[in-house]
Amino acid sequence: MLDFEEELRKFHPSIEVEDAQETIFSQDFTDIADALIKILDKAKESGE
Amino acid sequence: MICYKCGCTLSEKDYCTGCGADVGMYKKILFLSNRYYNDALEMCQVRDLSGAIVSLKQSIKLNRNNVDAHNLLGLVYFEIGEVMEALGEWVISNSIRSEKNIATDYIRLISENQTQFDAMNQNLKKFNQALEQCYRDSLDYAIIHLKKVLSAAPNYLKAHQLLALICIRLEDWEKARHELEKCMAIDSKNIITMRYMAEVEAVLTPVDDGHVRSKKTKTEEQKRGTYTYKSGNDTIIQPVHKRQPRALTVLLSIGIGAVVGLAVAYFLILPAKIVSVEENSSRTIAAVSEEKDKITADYDSLQHNYNKILVDNEELNEKLKAYTGSEGNVGATDSLMLAAKTYIENPDSISEIARCLEGIELADSMDDTDKSESYRALYNKLMELTSERLSEYYHKLGYDSYKNDDFEGAIPNLQRAYKYNRSDGEALFYLAKSYEKTDQIDKAKEAYVEVINSSPDTERAQKAETELARINSQY
Repeated sequence: MLDFEEELRKFHPSIEVEDAQETIFSQDFTDIADALIKILDKAKESGE
Repeated sequence: MICYKCGCTLSEKDYCTGCGADVGMYKKILFLSNRYYNDALEMCQVRDLSGAIVSLKQSIKLNRNNVDAHNLLGLVYFEIGEVMEALGEWVISNSIRSEKNIATDYIRLISENQTQFDAMNQNLKKFNQALEQCYRDSLDYAIIHLKKVLSAAPNYLKAHQLLALICIRLEDWEKARHELEKCMAIDSKNIITMRYMAEVEAVLTPVDDGHVRSKKTKTEEQKRGTYTYKSGNDTIIQPVHKRQPRALTVLLSIGIGAVVGLAVAYFLILPAKIVSVEENSSRTIAAVSEEKDKITADYDSLQHNYNKILVDNEELNEKLKAYTGSEGNVGATDSLMLAAKTYIENPDSISEIARCLEGIELADSMDDTDKSESYRALYNKLMELTSERLSEYYHKLGYDSYKNDDFEGAIPNLQRAYKYNRSDGEALFYLAKSYEKTDQIDKAKEAYVEVINSSPDTERAQKAETELARINSQY
């Protein structure tokens, strides 16, 4: 049987217009490509 | 695909032909990102939007500059009703590449119609309110809000799922399944939808010995208050949670609300109204009573005046009668004048004078103040001239009547004889006897006493004493 309270906790409020800007710009945009470039740069520096 | 270092277009080589940078790994990451994007695209084609979202997020995690992934993710979000998330993805996409980007058109489409944009935002607020009401266990209100949300945004997946969850909570299984089928139509592989659906299906189509139960069997079990299903090798018998139909609940709520409203009206509003009406009535009654009292007082005053006028009128009539009637002063005066005239014309006609004077006998009983001085003087003068002869005249008449045993007729004449001559004791004696004969004993006694007093030591007085003693012994 489903636990109603437990399932309810999985629902989050929708983002409203007033909060949209903050939500969008507070995201972490770092991707794997950025991480790889940093690693390659560090490896190159240590190799030199 | 461009070099992350110099911006040159990369070739099939693992290094940049422009700057010589090692781009083998970098290219693999970008390829992987594109692969995820392609997977997401395929998932979208079979409406596996949840899977598409996961893949697109992976794609963006690998390459944040994957504009197509951002755009597609925005579209998927928009399809499941998450407008702000969609807008966020398109804004990021637009910031990465502002030219020749479909995201710009998407943003413009959404934001150019302000009314529609406000309606979307209001819809999101309503969903959040519904969620808040779920936290407070106000499920009925939450259902109402969610239905409003879904009427404006039929593809809002989260709202459908929440509504289905509430239905499951209320054990309205058919409705829950109906909502979950809508969820499946929007997003065919959503894990939450599938889990809820499995729960609902487990209740609605329980399996017994590997066979799907017939509706008849289900009904029989519901009558028993249980239902049975298999979980692995175990047969589970679970009580059915009966719940009152929603319509009945709503009707009951309306009925209770109406009763409470009537009770409030009856206990709070109606008494105040009654008091107000009673106050108005009291004021009206007081005013009417005051008016009635005034009218009654006026009537009493008028009645009093009327009675006084009647009394006055009666008195005046009496006085008028006294003056004008045969027994009044006018009549007495006329009789006296006639008697005087008769005497002047013939002084010896005593019978005629007596007849005239009988007309004023009643007037004699009247108060002397009612008679004038000249009347009294004339009367006294006439009496001086005629009283002795009048007494003799009446004495004779009375005695004759007495002798003839006409006692009733004798009495007035003997009274007149004694009135005109107070020394006529004989007339008084016969008057007493006449009274006795006519059974006027008291008057007879008085007359005998008067005979004794008026002529004491006479034979007549002795007779009167004897008669008086006899009467006293008899009565």
